[in-house]
Amino acid sequence: MSNNREEEVKKIIADITEVPVEKLTLDADFFKDLGIDSLKAIEIVAAFEKKYRIIIPESDIPNIRNLRQVLKYTEKLK
Amino acid sequence: MSDLKWDKEKIKSILPHREPFLFIDEVIEIDGTKKVVAVKNIKDNESFFEGHFPGKPIMPGVLIIEAMAQTSIILFFVDKPKIAKTHPAYYLGKVKAEFLAPVYPGDRLIIEAEKVKFLDYAAITDTIAKVNDIVVAKANLVFSIKKNE
Repeated sequence: MSNNREEEVKKIIADITEVPVEKLTLDADFFKDLGIDSLKAIEIVAAFEKKYRIIIPESDIPNIRNLRQVLKYTEKLK
Repeated sequence: MSDLKWDKEKIKSILPHREPFLFIDEVIEIDGTKKVVAVKNIKDNESFFEGHFPGKPIMPGVLIIEAMAQTSIILFFVDKPKIAKTHPAYYLGKVKAEFLAPVYPGDRLIIEAEKVKFLDYAAITDTIAKVNDIVVAKANLVFSIKKNE
């Protein structure tokens, strides 16, 4: 089940950022390592909100900087 | 639902745009912090009609997008007045648009902008433009917002 979630999350991020899924390692920093800017960041947030029907508070966003942290965040959604 | 209306002077207190690039004339509806509806009255003598096209005036789609972007900035102000009052720079970064029908001189272009997601430094809106209740264009807009240093 958690593998499915990881694949799902990787796909959302890969589609928006055009970073290949293989480069989306758990600890690659979105901003420093993957070159994601504020535009892509908000698109990713909006895509998650739509997919999982949640609101991600702006205050949570600075703490979500890599895939590992995204997955930890989505654990709370189960 | 509140239906506060804004005239051009109020619009200019928030939008940095000026003639000949101010593309909304009035705000006719504000629905909480979710939606703003604005109007651009398309005049017969708009400067862009001269070249687009001679003898066959049609409003360029990119200028419909501009009206949508300006309406979106008004919506951002409604939702985040503290940030908007600092007059940050708004950069339109991504547009996904469809143009469904032409817009002609004399049309009253009604633009609806709805909030998808707003952060202090970026915004996404879904916008629709209509003439006589017919949808002429739709767009999803992504902005980055940079505070003045």
